[in-house]
Amino acid sequence: MLTRRMGSAEAWRDTKVGMWAWLLQRVAAVGLVAVIAAHLKNPFARPVQAALLALVLFHGLLGVRAILLDFGLPVRWHRLLFLLALLVGVVAFAAFWRWRWY
Amino acid sequence: MVLRVFRWSPGSRERLQKYWVKARHGMTVLDALVELQRNSDATLAFRYACRVGMCGSCAMVVNGRERWACRTLLSNLARGPVTVRPLYQFPLIRDLVVDMAPMKNKMLEMKAVFVPGRRAMAGDEFAQIGSRSRERRAIDAAIECIGCGMCVSACTMVGHDPRFPGPAALTRVFTLQRDSRDGAHAGRSLAVLAEDVLTRCHGQANCTAVCPMEISPTDSILALRRRAVLRLLGIGPR
Repeated sequence: MLTRRMGSAEAWRDTKVGMWAWLLQRVAAVGLVAVIAAHLKNPFARPVQAALLALVLFHGLLGVRAILLDFGLPVRWHRLLFLLALLVGVVAFAAFWRWRWY
Repeated sequence: MVLRVFRWSPGSRERLQKYWVKARHGMTVLDALVELQRNSDATLAFRYACRVGMCGSCAMVVNGRERWACRTLLSNLARGPVTVRPLYQFPLIRDLVVDMAPMKNKMLEMKAVFVPGRRAMAGDEFAQIGSRSRERRAIDAAIECIGCGMCVSACTMVGHDPRFPGPAALTRVFTLQRDSRDGAHAGRSLAVLAEDVLTRCHGQANCTAVCPMEISPTDSILALRRRAVLRLLGIGPR
């Protein structure tokens, strides 16, 4: 039986949007564990604050996307939802950071 | 054009063999394979039947994506060598031919077989569900599955968890659970509530992206999941 060897370039050649959305949310979750630990050591470090905000937004909004699909939004919208999650994340990050809403 | 074709037979080593094919206008991957088999290498094994995008038996992985070889034009592929592999997640028989039996077995495990219920007959006639009825429209797309196996090959969860039934079996379950003539809803509901079934789908929609019939197995699985939750809460259909 052949399985995709994720170490090969060919396995990633046709990675689809849904897979990226799922994967990036998991990567953001792992990143959050490290950044939260750094944040607890020094809550005032600006780069850590920025990373924490970005990862929380990214992870949370991709989670909202998954919940919406779970609750019955048609799967054909999933690419649009992914783009929306990224867009809202970037806008929210800029707004939080610019006006210091944290 | 260079084709890199996966070769394997029992007792030999897996390898990608290079072939040169003169690409003609309108030539498909299947045309190229047939030409190779006729003119260059008669030992090359692959499966096909209708040649016109109906049966799904020429499903292969071309340049990393599941496609039916008969509908994939060489001119539509990215420049450079074309890599042709057999479907993933299926036992290999030889070269590009895989054994589709595991997909059928998963369907049987999930009880994805029609069992006539009390409403199966209308008098002496088999009961019909109108083509415009709500019940029929809910499964309209899903019943078009041709069993090509591309969704199973594209699913990362099938590769990760051998007990996961896969998108094809669950799509079949979905159509049966929505069929009022079927009499085995309760048993099937229990089967899909097992640990490695509905909850295992990560919703990546790889299956939906590659389905040549434009079915969305992801939608079917999510619908089954919602139905299961309602049933567990005691407010949904069996």
